[in-house]
Amino acid sequence: MGTSDLIKGRIEQCVEALQRRELTEADLRAVIDLLDDSKPQRQDLLYMQSSGTGLATEAYGLNMLVDGEIVEPASPDEWPYKSPLEAVRDGWRIIDFPNLALLMDESKTYGLGCEFILERLR
Amino acid sequence: MQTAMKQAERADCEPTLTDTDVVEFCKQGFLMLEGVVPDEINQRVLDFVDANGHIPIRGEDWFVEHVLLNREAAGAVRSLIGANFAVPIGVANHRIKCPMPAQEWHQDGGSRVGPAVNNLQVFYYPQDAPPELGPTEVLPGSHHLASHQRWMQHYGSVRGTVHTAAPAGSIFITAYPIWHRRSKSTAQGMRNMLKYCYWRMEPPRRDWIVDPDFDFAMAPYTLDGTIRHWSQFRDWYEAAEMFFWLCGDPGKMTEAVGGTGWPIGHPPPRMGEQIYPPVGFRRFPEHG
Repeated sequence: MGTSDLIKGRIEQCVEALQRRELTEADLRAVIDLLDDSKPQRQDLLYMQSSGTGLATEAYGLNMLVDGEIVEPASPDEWPYKSPLEAVRDGWRIIDFPNLALLMDESKTYGLGCEFILERLR
Repeated sequence: MQTAMKQAERADCEPTLTDTDVVEFCKQGFLMLEGVVPDEINQRVLDFVDANGHIPIRGEDWFVEHVLLNREAAGAVRSLIGANFAVPIGVANHRIKCPMPAQEWHQDGGSRVGPAVNNLQVFYYPQDAPPELGPTEVLPGSHHLASHQRWMQHYGSVRGTVHTAAPAGSIFITAYPIWHRRSKSTAQGMRNMLKYCYWRMEPPRRDWIVDPDFDFAMAPYTLDGTIRHWSQFRDWYEAAEMFFWLCGDPGKMTEAVGGTGWPIGHPPPRMGEQIYPPVGFRRFPEHG
């Protein structure tokens, strides 16, 4: 059970105690202690490069930061998602959209195209 | 004026690439020649670098003759950068102890993206380079992709890449700006890979093996079969522009698409029911 589940359970117990008119200061302080002990959440990152700015466009490049480790799938066949949209549907949040300023210059093609950066907290 | 620069040692030989081969290089940005160096030379190279390191090997006549001036490799180099090309002055050895994680994607320092081919970066495997020993991974067509080296370090798995796994004695020739990296290795052991540059000394000319029936406008400049990391038709444009530069005749690009510069304003020339642009078409100036 994760820390957040533990805290939720304790709060539920507090609610039940409140309904029974048995809630005490000690019950609430125990929840506060749990919050103090909880670790900061870790950020997972998902970089996806695609051919266009649409969420459903096929990804051409992918790299991940998972639980503090950089994890590169061995081949595109092993990518967990084929598009940014698939990743969003699985709970990832987009934190950076393709930089359109880099796409405006027609005289050169920059980098791997349109890059989405997504995060998930654990 | 005093200079610390070394006098370039020049070489010449018969070109071995055809028009179509040169177009292919312009599209892919690399050319693999598998197993062209004989086994006894490969073994001699390995023994030499084990005993002496890689730096003095450039001074060995047998190395120059059988590796740097290897018939197939030098013929391809001659085709791409012309007669009297300068032979590599120094040699690096990317010697690694496997297993190792994949290297970061990069273009080598000083890369200049554009149609000019003024030097070639060449890789030589003196030993078998199977996937387990982390052969170089390249992204076909990426010599046309501009990027700062420092902006590429977060890239990871990329669609359409090629692992240059190859037998001992293989040499692959690249356009200097091609994106590449050492791939992940899983086996135990040492991997040697020698790397060096050839330099153009003559202006570009179409003096490789010329096909008299070659159709400049309709040649297959589009990079088929791989993922396109650029706008539609841009791969056609980049490869064609490089080919015409190598021909020493950039004016042919104007003939082919009716004007200069990107975007060209219409699909590139192609065969079939719809042919663009019509013969004699040219873009009229937008202003006056």
